[in-house]
Amino acid sequence: MKTRKLLDKLVAYLDGDARKHKQERDDLKAVLKKLKQREKKLLNRLEDEKNSDRRKALKSEIDIIHAQRKKGVRLLKSE
Amino acid sequence: MLRRILLPSIFLILAYGFWISPDFKVISAGVAIFLFGMLSLEEGFKSFTGGLLERLLRRTTDKLWKSLAFGAVSTTFMQSSSLVSVITISFLSAGLLDLGAGIGIIFGANLGTTTGAWLVAGFGLKVKIAAYAMPMLVFGVILVFQKSKALKGVGYILAGMGFLFLGIAYMKDGFDTFKDTLDLSQFAIPGLTGLLIYTLIGIAATVIMQSSHATLVITITALAAGQVTYENALALAIGANVGTTITAILGSLSANVEGKRLAGAHLIFNVITGTIAIVMIKPFAASVDVISGIIGIAADDYTLKLAVFHTLFNLTGVIVMLPFVGRLVTFLNRTFKAKAKHISEPRYLTESAMEFPDTAVKAVRNETLHIYENGRDIIAASLYLRPADLVDDIDLGMRVKEPVHGSPLDIDSAYETRVKPLFNAVIAFISQSTFGWDQHQSADLHWLRDANRHLVEAIKGTKHLQKNLALYVRGDNPYIRDEYNQLRLQIANVLRALEQMRGEEDSDVAILALDNIKAELEQNDVAFSDRLYELIRENRITPQMGTSLMNDNGYAYDIQRDLITMATTLLSGPEPELAHAQRKLTLDEDEMAEALDESDNKEAPGTPPGKMDGV
Repeated sequence: MKTRKLLDKLVAYLDGDARKHKQERDDLKAVLKKLKQREKKLLNRLEDEKNSDRRKALKSEIDIIHAQRKKGVRLLKSE
Repeated sequence: MLRRILLPSIFLILAYGFWISPDFKVISAGVAIFLFGMLSLEEGFKSFTGGLLERLLRRTTDKLWKSLAFGAVSTTFMQSSSLVSVITISFLSAGLLDLGAGIGIIFGANLGTTTGAWLVAGFGLKVKIAAYAMPMLVFGVILVFQKSKALKGVGYILAGMGFLFLGIAYMKDGFDTFKDTLDLSQFAIPGLTGLLIYTLIGIAATVIMQSSHATLVITITALAAGQVTYENALALAIGANVGTTITAILGSLSANVEGKRLAGAHLIFNVITGTIAIVMIKPFAASVDVISGIIGIAADDYTLKLAVFHTLFNLTGVIVMLPFVGRLVTFLNRTFKAKAKHISEPRYLTESAMEFPDTAVKAVRNETLHIYENGRDIIAASLYLRPADLVDDIDLGMRVKEPVHGSPLDIDSAYETRVKPLFNAVIAFISQSTFGWDQHQSADLHWLRDANRHLVEAIKGTKHLQKNLALYVRGDNPYIRDEYNQLRLQIANVLRALEQMRGEEDSDVAILALDNIKAELEQNDVAFSDRLYELIRENRITPQMGTSLMNDNGYAYDIQRDLITMATTLLSGPEPELAHAQRKLTLDEDEMAEALDESDNKEAPGTPPGKMDGV
């Protein structure tokens, strides 16, 4: 069983397409993580912001990041 | 003149040697096969530079000890300090490394190269090395004929190692039989004279073969056959260490000033280390005896003792020089001053950067950034703004309301002197680089060419915009003036946002941050249309003014679009691997509109968006 598992792992490693696909998923996850952090940071900033123009700009930025994250999650699920 | 007679002279001497001694022929063939193996090995490692080396260098050279370890490990792995120093010079020239990190790598490479002596003395002479060479050569050559770049690379490495082993075997056999006909050890020179003469011979041999490894292998095999004395062999090893700097010096001739500084550091390090070894040869030899005794090397195993000596004096050199790296950097910066480059001269497109696909792509990226800086200044000046206005923390809204002075910028002339020559140089550089590009590298180059094109389009758009802008920002009608100031402000805001992105710490998601600028652009465009008809309807501006404004708003829109598209490639953050993932997440027009609609429909500003499961 262990040998079989090891062989599967080796085949997966040698299969360039599968490796590339995994790398792409990992990259996407890394970007989504960074986006999540940025969204959180902007939400905190929004809470403290009093100026209405700046609030509007921040809110629009947050919504765009949120839409990007949604797109990313959709992409991850569809793959 | 010297160069013209040098090659024929070497040929004549070798031919004469081959004629009088078949053993000399075998030894020379061994050296030739060994050097061919080195070339093959270099070719193999070069095919693995596709992104891997760049990633490694970025992650392993942020601290001096890491650079040192990188130099030592990579040289041990590749068995060629010359290759490591040439790669380092290329990466330094392309702006992928700083001088301190480069020096760390060179110091490490000097340590790594000592493993070669251990391998040859401990393994190469103790076993029938040719037996290992044969299968390596066969498998290697079969792999070289494969289509896959990775397999081809492995093939070159295997074949290279096979040739190295075969070369060593030939040298060993040659020296073994040579001693029956001619005893070279009769030319042994004792004392300081011998030390100096053999050091010079070591330097000369390494300069000619451009490989300290080859000199060391000849020395070790000759030592094993008793053709050279242990004392003289130590001197040859010192000479090989000093002579190896020639490769870096030759490599730096085509590099920029940074490359020359690194070659300088290499020379200084190796000369100082060599001098220490010569001056302290006796204590070193005594230490070698003690260390050999401790690690179980027989007192008469001179080849392994030579390996101990080689490691010991290089290690001493590193320990002595390491505290002075900072001073060395200052000294080299002062000695090799960067020639003040004209604004229209390429800064990064050097021959040295053309050595590897990674460095070539990086050099094109850096040069494109240089073109962008020049283009940004042209656009700013044509908007009657200073470059500093885009960086300083000043209110741009107020700044554009200030009265404008001076005549409009001659954009054609500025473009011809500050952008076009650089753009031409980038195109020429890309065409001259004849690599088997990796898919992602050619994609990078394609996008970089595209980024340049968008920048040029933005400058052309500015030229179209400039005519009416120059007229109306000085005009009496405050409404049309305000509108043109608004266009200036919008473009300046995009330029400022791009500048901020360049300096931002979390620019890992820089490409995605551009979506926000795109959204603003669309919102401004919609707001403009509403305002324009209102201004005409209320007779604030004439319909003719309105037509001009409409056209110029189109130009301003295109300029901003071009700048944003350019930035998508150029400001993709420090991790290029993530750029591709980011591009997948950028919003298209419909997605953007949907996101902004949702935003407008939320009850209260600041309501956090809904939670997302998973990531």
